[in-house]
Parts: sequence; C-alpha cells; structure tokens
Amino acid sequence: MADYQYKEPILTLRDVSMQFGGEVILRDISLDVLNVVRPGVSQGQVVGFYGRSGIGKSVLARIIAGLLPPTTGTVLVANPQRPVCPGDVGFVQQRYPLFNHRTLLDNLLVAASRKHAPAEAKARVEDFLTRFDLAQHRRKYPAQLSGGQRQRAAIAQQLLCSEHLIILDEPFSGLDIAMIDEVKKIIMEVTTLDELNTVVIVSHDLATTTALSDTLWLLGPARDAAGQCLAGATISKKHQYNLAEMGLAWQHGIQAKPEFVQLIEHLKDEIRRT
Amino acid sequence: MLKDLFVPNAKPHPSVFLTMVACQVLLLLLLWLFYPLQLFPTLGEVVASFKELVTTQGLIQELWASLTTALGALAIATVLALVISYLTALPFFRPIAYAASKMRYLTLTGLTFFMALMVSSGHQVKLSVLIFGATVYLVTGMTSVILTTTQEEMDHARTLGMGEWRSFYEVVVLGKLDEMLEVVRQNFAIIWTMITLVETLYQSEGGIGLLLYKQNRYLHLAGVVAIQLVILATGALQDYVFGFLRRIFFPYSELSAAK
Repeated sequence: MADYQYKEPILTLRDVSMQFGGEVILRDISLDVLNVVRPGVSQGQVVGFYGRSGIGKSVLARIIAGLLPPTTGTVLVANPQRPVCPGDVGFVQQRYPLFNHRTLLDNLLVAASRKHAPAEAKARVEDFLTRFDLAQHRRKYPAQLSGGQRQRAAIAQQLLCSEHLIILDEPFSGLDIAMIDEVKKIIMEVTTLDELNTVVIVSHDLATTTALSDTLWLLGPARDAAGQCLAGATISKKHQYNLAEMGLAWQHGIQAKPEFVQLIEHLKDEIRRT
Repeated sequence: MLKDLFVPNAKPHPSVFLTMVACQVLLLLLLWLFYPLQLFPTLGEVVASFKELVTTQGLIQELWASLTTALGALAIATVLALVISYLTALPFFRPIAYAASKMRYLTLTGLTFFMALMVSSGHQVKLSVLIFGATVYLVTGMTSVILTTTQEEMDHARTLGMGEWRSFYEVVVLGKLDEMLEVVRQNFAIIWTMITLVETLYQSEGGIGLLLYKQNRYLHLAGVVAIQLVILATGALQDYVFGFLRRIFFPYSELSAAK
C-alpha cells in the first residue's frame, strides 16, 4: 500500500440538508476532504461522486460551489477553513459555459484578473494556455472551439480564480473513448498543478470515475436506523469509500485489477439496492 | 445546383441563390410591366412619378428630414428602453418594464393629445410620440432577451467570483448586447409606421409621411407607390447597415447560428 498521510481539511460539509418548497432533497450530509500528502509526490487528489439521475447531485454540487445556500448545515473550504462563497470553488458545468462574447484569451484574463494584478494575470493565462494546449486558439471565440477545447478552456478558467477546489459536472458525458482519455489526462494535469488541487468529479461513468479517484461518494436515499427510507438523499458513512485505504488509488491500469472489478460490482449492487 | 432551391434546409451556393433572387425580381418587374393590374399604376407611371417627386416635391430632402427624426427618436428610445430593461434586475423596477411593455396597445391618436398638452412645440410632440411608441416596443423585445438568461450563465459568472452586479453586467449587458442591437433593428420599422401619422398631425416640418399623405389625398396612386417603394428601400438599407454593424462590433454573434 502506498505511503500517505492526511493533513489539513480542504472541504468540509457538516449536516447539509436542502429543501425546496417543503420537499427534502438532501438530508444531513457530512463529509471531509483532507489534504493527502505522499512522500516524494506533489499531487492533489480526486474525489468521485456518484448518484442516480434526479437524486440531487447537481443541487449538492451547487451547494459545495457556494451557489446555493443549504437549508441547514455548513460548507467550509480553504485553509484556514471558512464558509464557502461563490468563486471559492471552481465549478465546470456540464456544457462548459464560457463567455461567448469574449475570445478565449479574454475569457481566461477576466477570470485571472479576479485574483491577480494585470501583469501576473497575463503571465498565468499564458502559462495555462500552454499547459492546456490552447495557445494557438487564443484569438478564437468559444463558438469556434471544439468540445474538447471548450472543456479544457472552461477548466482552465475556473482554475485561474478558484481556491484549489474544482467540481466537474459530468466531464465524461457523451464522449468517445479517445476523448475520455483526454479528459482523464486533463484531470491528472490539474491535480499535478498544485498539491492542494482537488478535483470533485460528478459523473455517471462509475468505472472511469472510480479509477481516477482517491475517494468515492455514493449519493443514495437516506434511511433511518431501522433501514426505512426517509425523504431526501444522503451520503452515508458506508457509502464514503476511501480508495487509498483500500489500495485502489494512484495506480496505472487499475481498471484491469480483480480487486477493482470486484469493487465496481459491489458499487453497482449498492446502487441497485438504493 | 438548382435542385437545392427546392430541398428543405438545403444550403445553395451563394451565386445560385443571388441569381435566383435576381430572377424573381426581374419576373416581378416584367409582370408589372406587361400585365398591369387595373387599379395599380404601371411601372412607367411610378417611375415618372418618382422623378417628379424628386425634382419638384423635394422627396430626397423630405426623406432626409424623416430619417433624421426617426434616427433621433430611435437613439433616445433605445437608451430609455435599455435603462428600463436593465433595471428589471431589481425587483422594484419590474412593474415599470411590465407596464411599459403593455403600453404598446395604446393608440397613438389618443396619445398625441396628451403629448400636445405636455410639451410646447409641434416638433417635440412628434418626437415624443415616436420615442414613446418605439420605447414600448423596444422594452418588450429587450426584456424578452434578458429573460433568455439561464441559471447556467449566471452561475458561470458567479463561480468566477463575480458579484451579482458584475455577473449581470458580464452576462446580460455585455453578453447580450448583440441581441439588443437585433431588437433595435427589428423595431426600427415601427417608427416608420408611426412617422406617417405624426407628420400629418404636425405638418410644419414636412417629412416623407406628409408627402405620402398629400399623394394619398389627391389620389396620386403612382406617387403613393413611388414613396412606399422609397420607404421600403430605405428600410432594406437600414437592415443592411444594422447587420453590418452587428458583424463589425459583435463578430461572435453569428458564429453559433445555423447556416
């Protein structure tokens, strides 16, 4: 098993519940994402987040991003921990929105200038354009970019102004195998940019998400002590999988390993049960 | 290929399309030339009337007078409509935009009376009526554009750490400026329909509307058609200018449109 230690908290959810018009959507969700430190490795982490359609994944993602205040509970980010505000957490939505009236360069500059002085913002944008293989498209408008370029641009834009934490909503949706590999590469690139960088993947692609993740959360219906279904979805302790602890993180070709295949089958059973 | 002209959603070659338009116009002119309708003036009569209107009645000067009045009214109406529409960001001002939009159902005849009581000169009454008429239509179009703003667009701006006003400015004001220009282009026509009425009410300043009224009054049908064609051509030119401005100032605008 790889040598690692957990340090300061990066993201904390305490008793987060959400109701819309009296209908309970999310119930008492408590989670911790801690900084993982591995000797000789400077890499952030990936948190996978799975839930069936319509269960409240997007609501939880918006709450974590600070876009929606929960009915009860708190979301804390950064170090030292403070309540999340919009802009603290990067959030790449499913259709990779960018400002269509700005060129790619301007899109990145407007994000970078939220946190940096003009000269530094420009330097960071140039660095990101190169890292994300977008330099030759800098003068293009978003409508002129391909789906992959648009996704990379949206991720770069969020990274330029967020605090190490970035949520990707369905990053593998509708992509072919080559494009999925491309996105996986980008996610790994993001985690290697800074040791504190943490990518939360909200996805239906269970195998790909689990293979990339250090931690996996399953969002399912809440149950009481007697096992009876309650209104709203939650992520129970039982459904928070520490893949590093299970020896299923940070390995190339993990998807071919029998333990991994077993875990995926177990997860599928759990999902069917919920 | 010619057959593309009759295939649904086909994209004929531009030269084929332009040739088709030229042929259609030519066919229309030939029909008009050789098979004139009994009540409708002939092409020759309209051309002769047009010449007479230009040389003796100052058609070009009257057109210019109307055009400058229309552009002045449009400029003021656009600013007013933009302010009213953008203020809908604040719930307090939403009833104003709603009321302004509904005022397009008011008739101008009743309105001119109130305007005459409120302002002093005939020119100001004319201008006020045009501004009012254009503003209520522009507010309707502009608020519709604002309402197309999605949660995703606003969330995107917020995730970049922009406050509510900055998000509104980036997404709604800057992001939809090209669509606002399109609203202005579409609603410019309403000013031309109103100008005929107001120019006949206040005749001291002349204008193409007054010229049209006189031709109508004396049953100079050829003159009426000639003036209508001039207005039509001016409108087409205006549309082209607006389209040109949109391409120059908002080059991204047509990138995602289906071609």
